[in-house]
Amino acid sequence: MIDFWEILQEHFVPFLNATGMTLKLTSVSLVLAMVLGLLVAFLKLSDNRALNWVAHVYIAVIRGTPLIVQLMFLYFGITSIVVLPSFWAGSLALAIHSGAYVAEIFRGAIQSIDKGQMEASRSLGVSHWKSMRLVILPQAFRRAVPPLGNQFIIGLKDSSLVAYLGVAELYGAALSAQAENFQPFETYMVAGLYYLVLVLIFTLLVQRLESRMDKANSGRQRDTRTRIA
Amino acid sequence: MIHVRGLHKHFGALHVLKGIDLDVEQSEVVVLIGPSGSGKSTLLRCLNFLEIAQEGTIELLGKSVVPGKDDLDDVREHVGMVFQHFNLFPHMSAIENITMAPINVKKLSKEEARATARDLLQRVGLADKEDSYPSQLSGGQKQRVAIARALAMSPDVMLFDEVTSALDPELVGEVLQVMKDLAKSGMTMVVVTHEMGFAREVADRAIMLDDGQIIEDTTPELLFTAPTHERTQRFLSQVL
Ligand SMILES: Nc1ncnc2c1ncn2[C@@H]1O[C@H](COP(=O)(O)OP(=O)(O)OP(=O)(O)O)[C@@H](O)[C@H]1O
Ligand SMILES: [Mg+2]
Repeated sequence: MIDFWEILQEHFVPFLNATGMTLKLTSVSLVLAMVLGLLVAFLKLSDNRALNWVAHVYIAVIRGTPLIVQLMFLYFGITSIVVLPSFWAGSLALAIHSGAYVAEIFRGAIQSIDKGQMEASRSLGVSHWKSMRLVILPQAFRRAVPPLGNQFIIGLKDSSLVAYLGVAELYGAALSAQAENFQPFETYMVAGLYYLVLVLIFTLLVQRLESRMDKANSGRQRDTRTRIA
Repeated sequence: MIHVRGLHKHFGALHVLKGIDLDVEQSEVVVLIGPSGSGKSTLLRCLNFLEIAQEGTIELLGKSVVPGKDDLDDVREHVGMVFQHFNLFPHMSAIENITMAPINVKKLSKEEARATARDLLQRVGLADKEDSYPSQLSGGQKQRVAIARALAMSPDVMLFDEVTSALDPELVGEVLQVMKDLAKSGMTMVVVTHEMGFAREVADRAIMLDDGQIIEDTTPELLFTAPTHERTQRFLSQVL
């Protein structure tokens, strides 16, 4: 255990920098994944068979193959077409991976909105896409927050695999550290601790956000009760 | 105002509307009754093209509307609809529900739209509720906001689909009152309802729909007191 504390202190600065990289990688890939996910959700919900099929195949392939294989495949695929720094290639590959799960989250959230909402909006003369943007999506996004938070946590942990593309994020920092200090057990334990703390902080933030949204709702309900009483 | 000829609607193998002919003149109030599944909602929904009929013609405001050729969003602007389950937008306040379409479709400025919305809220007796969210309103209040929302587009016709049947009995009156006022103001209305009092007081005509066909088209007085069709008699004895 003494070694654990030593390693924690000794590698504090590189691990802190690596944490920054992990957070950057996670956020960039998740933002890209949300854009991609929303697009794929629309493909899946569209009436066009060919578009459905594209979304279907994409989701099936992502779900049906290991992430590390996808990362390597996409990394070499992407970098053979365009020259990209490994950070961006890695972010893009992670985004393409999470995008499939985010697409399913958005599709589920959009479908969970009562059909009467779209009908009411259309009956006022509002076009399909405007109704989607003004009526359906704001409600769907609220419902998507808890599963998206979950997906963010998964994405945070998955970003560790990008170390194999040469990005100096947390796991990458641990890889190089243990090669120098020959204490892999303690070093990986430190890296694990960093991930755990990040996930706990993020879980707390999501819970805060959720309870704030709940409070906004129950506040409204409380009003109703007092008015009736 | 509305002229429907030979309207047929199928849902797959199910033949729901079987040759509907219907004329509604300006400022007329027509009440539509009929057993569950007879096609009342489907007929209303065909009138604003939420459902597209497979056969027949619909003429609105002197123009024949052809789905696929005419812009149905434009048509729907002129045909307001109120639903049984309100379908208010829960993430918008009462006034935002009302101004959404005028701002985004008619391109009114926010101020103009809000001024009109306040007048409408006043008209339905909810001037003090403009900032309330749907979850803070009673069923009757929600339905009155929904009526105001439809009126905000200044429609030429209003369609009502059993708008009081999801309400607690003590809240029905306030919604019917708003509809009566609207009828008196000269609005053309097609109303699916089994509220006989309302029909007798404000409707010019009452129509009985059975199994996708209009089997009686007469005055409310006659339909409710002296139905000619045996099916109508049976139906009325069940609901009244
Ligand atoms: N979108 C749909 N897909 C398939 N069948 C439908 C659809 N909408 C309505 N139907 C069917 O069409 C028939 C007529 O339905 P409709 O809702 O018009 O009846 P209604 O007269 O309004 O009945 P209610 O009094 O119960 O509201 C019913 O058998 C119903 O199940
Ligand atoms: Mg119905």
